[in-house]
Amino acid sequence: MLRPERNVGFLRLLATAVLGLLAVAACNSTTPSTTTTSTVIKIGILSDCLGDFGSFFNDDLGGALAVLAAHYGGKASGPLPKDGMTGAVIAGKQINIVGFGCSDSTASKAIEETRRLVEQLGADIMIGPLSGDEGIAVANYAKTNQPNKTFLNGISGAQDATLKVQAPNFFRFNPDGAQWSSGLGAYAYNKLGWRTAAVIGDDYAFPYTSLAGFIAEFCAVGGNVTQRVWPPLGTTDYSSFVAQLNPTTYDGLFVGVGGAGLITFLKQYQQVNGSLKTQHIMGNTFWPDPQLLHAIGTPMVGAVAASGIAADDTSAQTTAYKNELAIYPATQKDAASVFTLGYWSAMTALGLALTAVNGDISGNQKALQTQLAKTVVDGPYGKISLDSNRQAVFDNWIVQITAPATSGGDPGIHTILRIPNVDQTFGGFFSPTTPAPDRTNPTCTKKTPPPWVGNEVPVTFGP
Amino acid sequence: MIAGPGPRSRSSRIPQWVALGVLALFLAGAPSVVDSFTLSQILTKALWLGIAAASLIFLSSYGGMISLGQTGIYAVAGFTMANLVHAEGGKNLGWDPVAATAAGIVVATAFGLLCGAIASRSYGIYFLMITLAISVIVFYFFAQVTTLSGYGGIRSVTPPAVIGNPVLNPLPLYYTALVASILVYVGIRYLARTPFGIALQGIRDDPARMQALGYNVALHRALAFGVGAFIASIAGILSVWYTTQVSPGGVNVAQTINILIIAVVGGLYRLEGAWIGALVFSLIDNYSRVWLPNVGDWLGPERFETVIGVIFLVIVLASPGGLVGIWESVWARRNRAMRGPVEGSGTVADVVDEAVEPHAVQSRR
Repeated sequence: MLRPERNVGFLRLLATAVLGLLAVAACNSTTPSTTTTSTVIKIGILSDCLGDFGSFFNDDLGGALAVLAAHYGGKASGPLPKDGMTGAVIAGKQINIVGFGCSDSTASKAIEETRRLVEQLGADIMIGPLSGDEGIAVANYAKTNQPNKTFLNGISGAQDATLKVQAPNFFRFNPDGAQWSSGLGAYAYNKLGWRTAAVIGDDYAFPYTSLAGFIAEFCAVGGNVTQRVWPPLGTTDYSSFVAQLNPTTYDGLFVGVGGAGLITFLKQYQQVNGSLKTQHIMGNTFWPDPQLLHAIGTPMVGAVAASGIAADDTSAQTTAYKNELAIYPATQKDAASVFTLGYWSAMTALGLALTAVNGDISGNQKALQTQLAKTVVDGPYGKISLDSNRQAVFDNWIVQITAPATSGGDPGIHTILRIPNVDQTFGGFFSPTTPAPDRTNPTCTKKTPPPWVGNEVPVTFGP
Repeated sequence: MIAGPGPRSRSSRIPQWVALGVLALFLAGAPSVVDSFTLSQILTKALWLGIAAASLIFLSSYGGMISLGQTGIYAVAGFTMANLVHAEGGKNLGWDPVAATAAGIVVATAFGLLCGAIASRSYGIYFLMITLAISVIVFYFFAQVTTLSGYGGIRSVTPPAVIGNPVLNPLPLYYTALVASILVYVGIRYLARTPFGIALQGIRDDPARMQALGYNVALHRALAFGVGAFIASIAGILSVWYTTQVSPGGVNVAQTINILIIAVVGGLYRLEGAWIGALVFSLIDNYSRVWLPNVGDWLGPERFETVIGVIFLVIVLASPGGLVGIWESVWARRNRAMRGPVEGSGTVADVVDEAVEPHAVQSRR
């Protein structure tokens, strides 16, 4: 007897493949035209909506869109940035936000999403991405595959994205991870008298870079880093790492542990070594965090840390920035977020450059790119210009943790120093040929100190 | 019980070949139907993800082993190849891309055999945990040994000349992935009919009885894991060409789960399910970011994981055999209706058993 049911496998395969292809074709037919008319400029914004940084999605988008609303007549389509924006016009050109890229802090998804915005939705100009690996990948994509489109970084901070990739059409108006730690090495050596230091940070790329900024500067001025400890990312019990750190063998400890681990680490460090001696410990940009100050409390008073933001600044510039963000109450409450600031800086720079070239993106956008390279953003916390690798030169800030305003309250943050004109190379310490920061790099060597050492500007904000 | 292929006449095969021919025409003609973005980001992605899922489905449907280690294994292939060729961020040894591809596959297969030897004596949840550990170890290894993974990954990986730049011209990579998929599909179907494949299915059904019959159960399972690793390594190589880069973040635990989701959505016990699940996954991954309406903070483009999670849940509850399982039950019901309750010598149970293949029966136990 014949058994026609045996054909079921092939027919099944055929039917599903046909259905799949029909689905693809159906999806395909809805693809918008990718042609650029002369009166419209299409912008795509890429951030993370999934993964470790997914919760900042609206903060990021809001930073960019607030600029369009404040200066270029953009109208928010809803209460949240992700609802979109219409009506913005720069130099007579309609600004069309073609879509928001939604990555998950991995390089592969960042590339897929960038390709969706550029190749499928036809973006002329991209803003993004958020995290380090993504930035390197997008810069490579820009250099190799889309030399005629313009890419502005969101807030990703890997050194390599600009120092080594050097894509002529990738512009980063925010500092890299090492730049965010600038000023602390010299402060430890000159103000706190450290001669030897230990460092501890999570065992992955961002802390390597963040700690590299401290190590480069501390060693350049004459200090010696005697110990580097790298707990695996996601460590919840730091006792064995605390045990490796013996405060009698170094003058100070630089802490680059991030996230929830930082609170645990500082608590366990105190259990072993007693209350924090704030002359002998300091932290990177993770420290000025309300949750951390709440959890650790007064033992942190007096400690210094780095911050890309002078949160207590009440100058007209800062106030204007906060007012721009007020369009989105959701991002306004996070006005101190570096994520928001990074996307704000990128869109501000783009607006200035597009205005300067009169909205001209013809000629493979070369005029726009030339203009962007010399654009200076007058940001809420200082001016941001670009170096020859199109990487931000900016002012960093040193903050000190202050006693609670009310008894039983949380400690506050007081900005004490402005570190002027911080560049990516630390005065030549980092170059395209130096190894990327890792567990053992950079090596500790005495060199000519970075140009800002000795030029720090004491500041006092607020009461 | 292992059912052998039923007797067939030459005429019964004709519809099969017609069906195959139409399918081949569809797949070969896809580039003229869709634009280059869709060809690359949906179809090519579905093909290589399908191969990765096929390695998992091969192990589960023929070997009874549900492995979470496939992502780790394809990462080994991808990183090995990327380090050997010209690229930015890795060892940049400048090998010929074809030789590097072969080396990547060999290293990953050897790694798979080693892992198979370790895991082959464990079953069920313990096997799952060991293979999950393999993926996690590989992820952390490449995340921390930056000399092998570059800083934040290895970029601008040079593919063989025949592939070219897959971003500028996705056609060669699409056809490469298509041919690889067909070879993997045919290869697995062939392997399942060899003595090794039959013994493997016997071990899947009753390892103790096969042991008693004199088969070396652990060796068969380890070798099967090696075969799975070989298939996964092909996916690993294709994934690197597809994204032109490889980074630890792309082979993390989330990706391990994604491969499992693709296999389950497609059908954990049917080989075709791998590519069907991958196509559905790619479509949802891409278009949920466009189509999902913004409803306050509840819904929006950022809810891809919620959407795929709900689909996963519905599939698991409604059809443990995945999308292919739904099709099978519809087909079986249709056949039953067409044949009537009892016809000739066949019983209803016979008809149902005919319609589903042995491993599908296995899935229902």
